[in-house]
Amino acid sequence: MQVKRIATVLAIGLFWVVAAKAAGFEARVASPAPELKAHDLTGASKTLTDYRGKVVVLNFWATWCPPCQREMPSLERLRMQMKGRPLEIVAVSSAETPEEVNAYLAKMKLGFPILLDTDSSNTRRWKVFALPTTFVLDTEGQVRHVLTGPTEWDQGEALAVVESVMSSSPPLAR
Amino acid sequence: MGGCGNRAIVMRFFRFFLSGLWLCAFTAHASLPDYQVFPAAGQRLLLWVASERGRTTAELAAAQQLAKQGVAVWSLDPANAYFLPQVSSSMDALPVQDLAAWLRAAQASGKQVTVFAVARAAVPVLRAAVLLEPDRRSQLCVVLMHPNLYTTAEPLAEPDYLDLGDLSGLRVRVLQPRRSAATPWLPGLMEHLARHGAIVSDVVLENLREGYWARETPTDFETAESRHMDSMLLHQLDTWGCK
Repeated sequence: MQVKRIATVLAIGLFWVVAAKAAGFEARVASPAPELKAHDLTGASKTLTDYRGKVVVLNFWATWCPPCQREMPSLERLRMQMKGRPLEIVAVSSAETPEEVNAYLAKMKLGFPILLDTDSSNTRRWKVFALPTTFVLDTEGQVRHVLTGPTEWDQGEALAVVESVMSSSPPLAR
Repeated sequence: MGGCGNRAIVMRFFRFFLSGLWLCAFTAHASLPDYQVFPAAGQRLLLWVASERGRTTAELAAAQQLAKQGVAVWSLDPANAYFLPQVSSSMDALPVQDLAAWLRAAQASGKQVTVFAVARAAVPVLRAAVLLEPDRRSQLCVVLMHPNLYTTAEPLAEPDYLDLGDLSGLRVRVLQPRRSAATPWLPGLMEHLARHGAIVSDVVLENLREGYWARETPTDFETAESRHMDSMLLHQLDTWGCK
């Protein structure tokens, strides 16, 4: 009985190790994030200070990118799951026009802010070379994790990463 | 008897040494890669080097169409020709001496030679061009479709490009589909090529993604464009004016 339990624990542990490797999250020594200067779809200017005191999942994506499209529903589910908690999901559309983004959003309803990086200046500042690329920032705006490629954000390692950053960086006092 | 025996040993050693030398010389000599020919009577020859992911049916169809329009095509699928896995690193492992010999053979045809290389296949093509004599290199035109010349490209860090060698005099045109994560980095890529001496220009292909002719879920526009790769390339050759 005891042996069976140990084997099960080991199997689960192995599964998590394999899953973690598959997702490919890269932990970073907390370092200040590059500047984010973009506009949302209403034309309002946004920077990282707008999300101060929250953990930020900053996702660089494009409407033409199939892996980006694949992970979008899971980002929306993560938003719903984390409702009321200090987490902001921000999707930066890389080098696309508002028309292209609006056409996509007409088909895919998303409740988190979408920012436009039409001139790709943010993409270059953040040194994004593949889409999607996602940065998990703590409440002080420091980069804590980076993921190149898609994942299921509302489960497994991705959820564990988000939770770990949230638990290690309590909301800032305003 | 003893002397004769010694002489025989020396002779055998000498013969063995010469055979070894001949074998070394033979193996060091470049050989041409295995490629497919689409003959045409015109004065232009296009060397089409498929990407690390292999040659697609759309590429073969385009080569046939080009030949019908008078542009001869030599089509090379490098991963297949050298029995290499279809990954980027395979392109870095290709014998560039062979490719340089291939370029020389093409130029020896007397036709105006343009190389068209896709994705990471740009690396061995540029390295082969480095091996050409300067006058041969300056006669060559190279069109690179969304070339990947990175050594590393990690988020939050400056991109690092491969050291290619001396490309002076080589005319290089980069075709970059707009819908690509590489598009914002196109100026840096062009600077890198120019720093190595290449004479560079670029064209952004609107509404297209990288490898649009081989996409699993192409848009209608991509499907249409993949049927017109021949005319797109002809247009590039004509408007570029690399002669």
